[in-house]
Amino acid sequence: MDVIANQLFAGLSMASILLMIALGLAIIYGAMGVINLAHGEFVMLGAYVTWALQTHVGIGILPALPIVFIAVALVGLIVEKAVVQKLYHRPLDTILATWGIGIILQQLVRLGIGAESRFVKGPEILSGNTEIGPLIMSNYRIFVIFFSIAVLFVTWRLMTRTEFGMKLRAVIQNRDISECYGIESKRIFSITFAYGAGLAGIAGALITPLFSTIPTMGTGLVVDAFLVVIVGGLGSLVGSAVAAALIGEATALFSIVINDTLGRIAVLAGIILLIRFRPRGLFPTETRR
Amino acid sequence: MSSKFQFELVALVIFAVVIAFGVPAVMNYDGFELNTFARYLALAIVSMALALSWGVTGLLNLGQAATFGMGSYAMAMHLKLRASSGLPDFMSWNNVSELPLFWVPFNSLAFTLLAGLLIPAFIGGLIGIFMFRARIAGVFVAIITLAFLVAFQLLVINQQGLTGGQNGLTGLAQMTLFGWAFDPYSMGFYYLVAGCVTVALAIGVYLTHSKFGLVLRAIREDADRTRFFGYNVANYKTLVFCISAALAGWAGMLYTLVLEFASPTYMGVSFSLAIVIWCAVGGRESVIAAAFGAIVVNMLEGRLSDIFVEGWHLILGVIFVLVVMFMPRGIFGLLVEGAQKLRTVGRARPGHAVEPLSTTPLETNQER
Repeated sequence: MDVIANQLFAGLSMASILLMIALGLAIIYGAMGVINLAHGEFVMLGAYVTWALQTHVGIGILPALPIVFIAVALVGLIVEKAVVQKLYHRPLDTILATWGIGIILQQLVRLGIGAESRFVKGPEILSGNTEIGPLIMSNYRIFVIFFSIAVLFVTWRLMTRTEFGMKLRAVIQNRDISECYGIESKRIFSITFAYGAGLAGIAGALITPLFSTIPTMGTGLVVDAFLVVIVGGLGSLVGSAVAAALIGEATALFSIVINDTLGRIAVLAGIILLIRFRPRGLFPTETRR
Repeated sequence: MSSKFQFELVALVIFAVVIAFGVPAVMNYDGFELNTFARYLALAIVSMALALSWGVTGLLNLGQAATFGMGSYAMAMHLKLRASSGLPDFMSWNNVSELPLFWVPFNSLAFTLLAGLLIPAFIGGLIGIFMFRARIAGVFVAIITLAFLVAFQLLVINQQGLTGGQNGLTGLAQMTLFGWAFDPYSMGFYYLVAGCVTVALAIGVYLTHSKFGLVLRAIREDADRTRFFGYNVANYKTLVFCISAALAGWAGMLYTLVLEFASPTYMGVSFSLAIVIWCAVGGRESVIAAAFGAIVVNMLEGRLSDIFVEGWHLILGVIFVLVVMFMPRGIFGLLVEGAQKLRTVGRARPGHAVEPLSTTPLETNQER
């Protein structure tokens, strides 16, 4: 029983990380149909910015979050304006272009900072564990779980309660008609992409104390996060959250029953089956294309 | 015989002549250089296999490396068995006391050669039936194949006692066929690989220009319309997946012979996307162009990594982004557009309307 409770918590912790990475992807994919394979590299950039701020400027993870968000969002904005914007009419080609951008970002970091792994200290206040009976939970992981829920809430507010969100939803529904109503879809897309990249940056900042920070850390994450987006359903925020929780928990539980790797394989097989039978995901949003 | 078919046949003959006579002469018949080039040629086959499914049919298969890996492991298993008396060494390290059942038939070379083609084809067919019966298309094909690739690689790495795990299969024997040992640094071996590439390309050229290829291109342009014409789109897509997988398996077998080991990195996401890159750079619509793309990018990689030991990956990334943005049809597209411009300039006499340049097939109605 103890094992299961602890695994459930580990699953939740993994789900919260997946959710934060997937949220950015979900709004980019949902809004623009762009499969952003450079997203993992945005996460990696976020992690490195945090590392740089901590070692060179002496700012801890928590105060660094806004700076990381802005820095990575700027990179995202540049990428969008320079490359992605030119490819809106060729959705499959965005997979290739963003993969190329991913290689470039990864190599720039490798050349500039080096390939060896970097370590970032977690915040002092959140060190230590909370114990409830046999359940041992790291305070930092608890914080990450709540933070990811907060990010989900903020993103949801942004999408449904602001003028920007309304315009974005309009563009998702029908780009041409929205343009007729005077919405500059190009600008909306640029901002959306930058926001998604910024979220990836924050995710990267938060996982630095949990993962080792290396230039290739993003490649594995992006596949998982993308599966979360697809399982959740096109552009559905709630879907992404549920899918992240499902995939995180399923991976954690499978790894007790079988082993870690086989658990991951089982989850991947489940995802493939799910896409086969529900290609529009668990929570499809109604769009007219 | 259409002019495009003639054009591709001429290109195929030139390609065959160049790799049979030109390349060995330029390389001074040096065994090491020829081995390196044979590696590029093996990769050319897998790139060309992707062109069949992606460029011709419009199915972006991000899991091509999985079928490539199956072929490569099939060959490596045979050579490993030949190199070891009794149990392969890594099995005894992993406390496997008896040869697993699925290893036993790989003692036979004939079975291995067949398995290297048919197992990938069978798996490709299964995935094809699984996806295309449900009319999965567009991005979802890419995602499902990608997820399959990740799962398959994990499985191979995980089953250390059966597959050699992260280390792959090393310490292989040389393949012997009719008493002739294949030394990967010999001229004879180079000609074997060159012959395989030529045959594979001939198959590819024939397929794309047969009626089968015409239906495939129709599916790429508009699957629904093709379905309304009475063609069973799912079967065509599945068949092209099988063929593409078999060709990838073939390439994998050759790759193992060239490098003399098999590694799970052959089934990695990076390798699989690299195949897509080669195919895109060469030109995804033509099998010869895709093969050429694989050779060019790999040669470039070889040269760049000599000159810029650190930054060559970066340069490759930049080239790739530029190709996707400005040359969506790759080197092949540049050639075709150049030829078309020459022709229209020649025809544009007063009183004659200038023919519009045909639209690139990449911007037509892709299935979503």
